[in-house]
Amino acid sequence: MKYALFLGCKIPSRLPAYEASTRAVLEHLGVTLVDLEFDCCGYPARNYSHDAFVVAAARNLALAERAELDVLTPCKCCFGSLRHAVRFLREDAQLRARVTQALGAEGLAWTGKTEVEHLLPVLARKVGVDALAAAVRTPRTGLRVAAQYGCHALRPSNVTRFDNPMAPTIFETLIRAAGATPVDWPRRLDCCGDPLHEANAPLAERMTRAKITDALESGAEVICTACPHCHLRFDAVQAGMRARSIRTLLYTQLLGLALGLPAKSLGL
Amino acid sequence: MLFQTALYASLALCVLGLVWRFSVWFRVRIGPDARDVTPAQRLAAVFRGATSALFSRRMFHVLAAFFLDVLLLRRLFAQARLRWLGHLLILVGFTLLLLMHALAPLVTAKLFQGYQSTLDPYLFLRDLFGAMVLIGVALLLIGRWRRRSGLPQARRSIDAAFVALLAFALVTGFLLEAHKIASPRAFYRMADQFIGATDAEKLEPLRAFWASEFGVAFDDLSGPIDANMVEQGRQLHRDACAFCHAKPASAFVSYPVARVLAPVTGLLDDARADAWLLYLHVFACLLGLASLPFTMFFHVVAAPISLLVNSAAVNRDFSAQSFSSEARASRRALALDACVRCGICDLRCSVAPIARYLGNPGLLPAHKLITTGALACGLLPRSGHEDEALRAADGAFLCTDCGRCTSRCPVGLDLEDLWEAGRGDLAAAGLPAPAQWLQARPALAWAESLEPGPWQHALSDAEATFAPLAADRGTFSRCVQCQTCTNVCPVVAHSIDPEHGVDLTPQRVMNLLRLGLRDLTLGSRMVWDCATCYQCQENCPEGIRVADIMCELRGLAVRRLGAVRGWREVS
Repeated sequence: MKYALFLGCKIPSRLPAYEASTRAVLEHLGVTLVDLEFDCCGYPARNYSHDAFVVAAARNLALAERAELDVLTPCKCCFGSLRHAVRFLREDAQLRARVTQALGAEGLAWTGKTEVEHLLPVLARKVGVDALAAAVRTPRTGLRVAAQYGCHALRPSNVTRFDNPMAPTIFETLIRAAGATPVDWPRRLDCCGDPLHEANAPLAERMTRAKITDALESGAEVICTACPHCHLRFDAVQAGMRARSIRTLLYTQLLGLALGLPAKSLGL
Repeated sequence: MLFQTALYASLALCVLGLVWRFSVWFRVRIGPDARDVTPAQRLAAVFRGATSALFSRRMFHVLAAFFLDVLLLRRLFAQARLRWLGHLLILVGFTLLLLMHALAPLVTAKLFQGYQSTLDPYLFLRDLFGAMVLIGVALLLIGRWRRRSGLPQARRSIDAAFVALLAFALVTGFLLEAHKIASPRAFYRMADQFIGATDAEKLEPLRAFWASEFGVAFDDLSGPIDANMVEQGRQLHRDACAFCHAKPASAFVSYPVARVLAPVTGLLDDARADAWLLYLHVFACLLGLASLPFTMFFHVVAAPISLLVNSAAVNRDFSAQSFSSEARASRRALALDACVRCGICDLRCSVAPIARYLGNPGLLPAHKLITTGALACGLLPRSGHEDEALRAADGAFLCTDCGRCTSRCPVGLDLEDLWEAGRGDLAAAGLPAPAQWLQARPALAWAESLEPGPWQHALSDAEATFAPLAADRGTFSRCVQCQTCTNVCPVVAHSIDPEHGVDLTPQRVMNLLRLGLRDLTLGSRMVWDCATCYQCQENCPEGIRVADIMCELRGLAVRRLGAVRGWREVS
């Protein structure tokens, strides 16, 4: 199994532990990661220019296509953004023509051969839950974990094809594979509040706090994330909270610990 | 006398310029947190920081940075080998040229007994150092040209002029030396001075020797030279000239040039080329000295200081938090001077593809650094140049803070800190992020300000390409106003506080679009507060792409409301 690793803008500078743990876990499981010269997924330009967003996304996909690789990203926002771009490219011939022209200037082309995958489905379906469970050396038995699904991977399901959007199970299944116990919490599918931070900080904060409170009230010991935006958001809001806080753990860290990988290699 | 006066004048200008540039580091305010800090506080903070670093273990980091980063240019080596080589050649060549040649009476003559500029190894070394600088300049230009971002490079014309001046000083230096090697006039002057002989017969053997081995271009000596005569000349040369004149062939640049110039040496002699070439060379050097503080060459002072300051940071990750807000203010001003506009940051900027597509270099770091400085110095926004400011704001707010520019900067500038400060300054200048300036008016007021209006405005073709879903009335024909989108919206659910709540609900936004009242939605808080969680879109029983449409509406709003918004509306 071989993928082009798409880290996006947040992970290398703000959450290097996610990069380290993703590489450590995937290498351990026999997945080869290739580094290409990717740029921004395009998401931040979406509110500004639809075309610029799709061009930026398509350029990344074209780079992967040239290397004949599928893309794996640990970021749910990059994942959603790249998947959306593919949808727009497929449904709008005029847009496709504009993008073809823009990429052609660099000798690149998007033809739609490259698949975009998020880390979790690759672990659950390509590596396989059984193989994961078999590789676990030190199961995190008894750890009560709240799975943070993250909007941009889950919805819209016809674009992301991540899991059942109303009753997903993939994250809980993966948590169980690591030997931990998933917690059922009412707000598990809610937005973490991060995208609203700039436009309406008080409202965004209310959304994040509601989730943290819910996770705590549901008996979770940690919130498990698989997106840098969600992860950093919980940490940032909790840093300003006086009330009881909850630990955040990246899924790759949870799995890495269960696989018996050294904590240091997971950025812990 | 003239040279001396010019030298002192240039030195005075240089020193005054340096003092002025240093003062800028304590005066210019970049970022909201720098606004209330006085220059005196900044000076005190820098002094405190420097002394505490000097007497702590951090001094070793500073020393390591001095050798590895300042002298060996480690960071540039990691980014661009060709430019590193070019830069190192200039650094070494220029420094040695300055010490050995320009400051010869003060340095070389004191250190080495019997120093003569016409003896080896000085004859050879002068050409070597000069050639190093020339090759270095060429390598830097090639390096810059070979790797480009696809958008204009950030540069100032005064910097190009300075590079041209440097090249001019080197070329006139080589020409002057070449001409003096070939010049019969110089030969006769020296013969007069050191042998006291002017009669042609006595000088004939020496002339033969110098013509055949020293490259002097006598125009009355044509045809093959008698070998006996040369041998006699060698004897005379050994007695009278050799103690201060080595064979000029070791000047491996000037000597070949002298051979090339040989046919026109007589003409040049008649025109007193030795005098005016000397003037040109010396005045080019002095002009360079005087203008040093005012061009990018000032980075030879600012960049090492910046590197050393950052190496003295308390936190080893050099984050801005290591510095007090007073010191941070000065660090930002220093960064503006330490940047050479090399453009390496632009090459791997995460949003470079977006910048290229939009044709807006304002997104790229090297350009942003210039606009950040211009903003702090009050040069931006200027009336009549609002477009420039708007493009700068687009650049600032489309930046994803990925940190690549900071990690790649060859002088180790903390650019992320600079960008954050710059965004604060933009907001204060009336150019905040769109989500902020749109809050200045309610949705209805925005719609009424649109011309021709109100709100029945058809989209232009260009706008329709950017908002294909919102432009198509058919998109909403299936909407049954069931309010599912509103019921599942977390933003609506959390809008319990009227001050920060939404104005319209998603269902109302869709209804306005359905009725063709699109412009009423553009400035709505619902559109701008949408978290793009896609609950609405996922749950819509009619499959209407509600969240995708919200994104389109924001793009439309930036275009249309941006065009009619008052200048400095928000502050």
